[in-house]
Amino acid sequence: MRNIALPVLLAASVGLVSCGSAPEEPIEQIIVSEPGGAAAGVKQAAATAPAADDLVSQGKAAFAVCAACHSIEAGAAAGPGPNLNGVIGRKAGTAEGFGFTDAMKASGVTWTEAELDSFMTDPAAKVAGTSMTAGAVNDPEARKAITAYLASLTQ
Amino acid sequence: MNDTVEVEKPAKKKGKWTRRAFIGAGVAAGGALVVGVAVRPGNPVDSLKDIVAGGQGEELINSWVKIGADNVITAIVPHCEMGQGANSTIAQMLADEMDADWEKVRVMDAPADGNYVSKDALRVFAAPGFKGGETMEPTYDGLFTQISKLAGGYVTGGSSSVRSTGQNGMRIAGAAAKEMLVAAAAAEWSVPAAEITTDKSMLAHAKSGKSEPFAKFAAAAATQELPRAPKLKTSKEYKLMGRPMQRTDIPAKVNGTANFGIDGAPEGQALKYAAVKAAPIVGSRVKSMDAATAKGMPGVLQILNMGDFVAVVADGYWQAQQALNSIKTSYEKTDIDALNSNKMFANFGKALDEAGDDGGDSKASEGDVLGVMEGAAKKVEAEYRVPFLAHATMEPMNCTAWVRDGKCDIWTGTQVPLWARSAAAEGAGVGDDDVTMHSAFLGGGFGRRLEPDYVTQAARVAKATGYPVKLIWSREEDTAHDHYRPADISRFKGGLDKEGKLTSWNNVHCSTDEPAESPLVEFYDIPNVSVRNAEVEWPLKLGAWRSVGHSQHGFFVESFVDEAAHAAGKDPVEFRRELLAKSPRHLNVLNGAAKMAGWGSELPEGHGRGIALVRSFNSIVAEVAEVDMTKGMPRVTKVFCCVDAGFAMNPDGLSAQMESGIVYGLTAALYDEITLKDGAVQQSNFHDYRMMRMDDAPDIAVQIINGAPDNLGGAGEPGLPPAAPALANAIFAASGKRIRELPIAKHFA
Repeated sequence: MRNIALPVLLAASVGLVSCGSAPEEPIEQIIVSEPGGAAAGVKQAAATAPAADDLVSQGKAAFAVCAACHSIEAGAAAGPGPNLNGVIGRKAGTAEGFGFTDAMKASGVTWTEAELDSFMTDPAAKVAGTSMTAGAVNDPEARKAITAYLASLTQ
Repeated sequence: MNDTVEVEKPAKKKGKWTRRAFIGAGVAAGGALVVGVAVRPGNPVDSLKDIVAGGQGEELINSWVKIGADNVITAIVPHCEMGQGANSTIAQMLADEMDADWEKVRVMDAPADGNYVSKDALRVFAAPGFKGGETMEPTYDGLFTQISKLAGGYVTGGSSSVRSTGQNGMRIAGAAAKEMLVAAAAAEWSVPAAEITTDKSMLAHAKSGKSEPFAKFAAAAATQELPRAPKLKTSKEYKLMGRPMQRTDIPAKVNGTANFGIDGAPEGQALKYAAVKAAPIVGSRVKSMDAATAKGMPGVLQILNMGDFVAVVADGYWQAQQALNSIKTSYEKTDIDALNSNKMFANFGKALDEAGDDGGDSKASEGDVLGVMEGAAKKVEAEYRVPFLAHATMEPMNCTAWVRDGKCDIWTGTQVPLWARSAAAEGAGVGDDDVTMHSAFLGGGFGRRLEPDYVTQAARVAKATGYPVKLIWSREEDTAHDHYRPADISRFKGGLDKEGKLTSWNNVHCSTDEPAESPLVEFYDIPNVSVRNAEVEWPLKLGAWRSVGHSQHGFFVESFVDEAAHAAGKDPVEFRRELLAKSPRHLNVLNGAAKMAGWGSELPEGHGRGIALVRSFNSIVAEVAEVDMTKGMPRVTKVFCCVDAGFAMNPDGLSAQMESGIVYGLTAALYDEITLKDGAVQQSNFHDYRMMRMDDAPDIAVQIINGAPDNLGGAGEPGLPPAAPALANAIFAASGKRIRELPIAKHFA
């Protein structure tokens, strides 16, 4: 039997994965913070502020992502998501000025820190039919900080 | 571009390959290839079971299908979902052969493990037209698996999933699984297998009144012999194939739960984000980096000069991108620092001048082109030009990587999971087997995600910093650092005889033809043909762009046929009918599109119709475009599309792919070009690399012809190539203005 020569058209169409050279290391690496080490900015804040407030300020910073959809000032108009001022203790689907889905209104959830944490983890799993189809917070630390921030605005 | 892989003589693999395995050896079309389809003894269940059948009570029937205790059947598909819906259609084919209940069929991406390779996709590329016949071993394992491993298979591209993996793999896997279930039930019930019937994931024996779900016999079936030649259904017996079954991926995409590459993250782990900026010119390197401002910016964790690119890792993506934007970089000089698009095209022109009427690399040569041209009653000449194009996927390039303890985890969307795995291994400095790929939907592929450059980058950054890092390219990075559809110039000379028949066809162009058939016109009855290409140098990285070479040659060839028709004083449809006298399937498709469009009927003043027909990826597509020229810039109002893909396994899916190919093709034809200035790409974002919007999009009608039930064609790409020439031909019909250079918009500025 003859040798089988196979024209690799696929390879031609997509280019070859580059040849097996050793991985290229950085030529220059500026390390502000390493994994496991607290960031310099956080360290400074910790030195001047009590721990609980630090969590709130971290939450405020982390909320920047949420702010794309959610307003937070008392009385501010809702965006793609409802205003979250005073959300802790509120019954789900009752904030004024936002068109909640029927599923959210019928969820029976009252927002505690634990309920918010669970909702932020996977909104559609917590309340199937929610209009919050993006913005889940994967990092448990960030969720803790955000709920602390939201709780601080409820008091 | 003519790399070959030498495969070891199968006979040398003593003990691994049986003599029996080569009964199915066959001859490829054109006689160039002799390829055996081998069977590896034994069923690979044991080695794969732990990887893909992790759930309670799940038994793996064979590599491509599993059955759960709840009687849910999961098709394990070695292709990626990038919007084209092929995985769902492939599962439909498996389910039909298996007599499964479609309501209870799920689709799962095969893991990026060497045992899952789309060897059948490779077969279509390697041995087109190869038919094993009765004696072929119609099983999914064997020599093609070996070949695919060599080439790093598990590829989603070439409009191949349904016609190759579905047709040659999944159907056989489904039929085999069914036979194994029946055999298991026959043994348990002590009745002849022939008396057992299957329907909706149930086994039944009418005489004894016994009836049980597939799941009951899943475990016993897994121990059965792999059937050597499971019996496949004829098209008359299809229950799911050929029907517009609902796609399994749609609900998750509608309710927002679908997981795309950019959603990937390690469970419960805080991610860091990386923004990157590559050196602007291909081959150039970062000479110096001034990050004085960046290192004091909020959230910034690390700043890296990787040589070929600069990266910032920060707590958030926006922080990383802002810090990156503040970094000042200088780059080493390259040979192409002074190059611009005009100079490049001038170089192409010079190469074509040198090739002349008979030089260059011959792709097709029939008859006496030059002699017949000499005596032609009428001569037609034209030169066409197309630009580089970017893919502009809606989801930008991104990859999440975590390198620790000599292992690497990757979350990304890719058309080539195995190559991406190798790319990650290289970046992380670990072995392929130390990399775990977490697959996800692709937010657009179009060929861009055949290149795993962003995966290597992510692995390198993750390794250097130690963080789990989600690396995201900005739109600017994506536009300027693509692997582009090649720019090209194509020249034609055609000769018409006294009756206005095309008797001579002479074409020379620059792009290397991929696939090889893309510039060829053998379905047109032209006695003397010469097709050649001239070698040029490319200043950018090239890649496969939806329909690859057909995207250029479709425009070139069908524009020139139109010009020849007008030179002959004939109607463009009538002219093509004569040329297609010996290609009945092509002719049917042409007539179908003309009829749909009411070809020849009156149109309002300033409107025009154009037609084009392109065969690509074994499907034949004709499109008629209608254009309104009364508003200055051409506006495509309608496109009528007729397609013969052999047999439409899912007609709804095929129609959707035609529509999508047309919109993608019109987008490029009307608006887009990637140009070079001082060696670098000039375009950066959607303001200068436009997408067609809903208000620009035409009404599209699609008609399907099932012209060859056993000879399937592709769907993902073939709708695209006729769109540009149909539109350009319509513009000529409406206004007398011939478009010989894309994009069209630049002629109406």
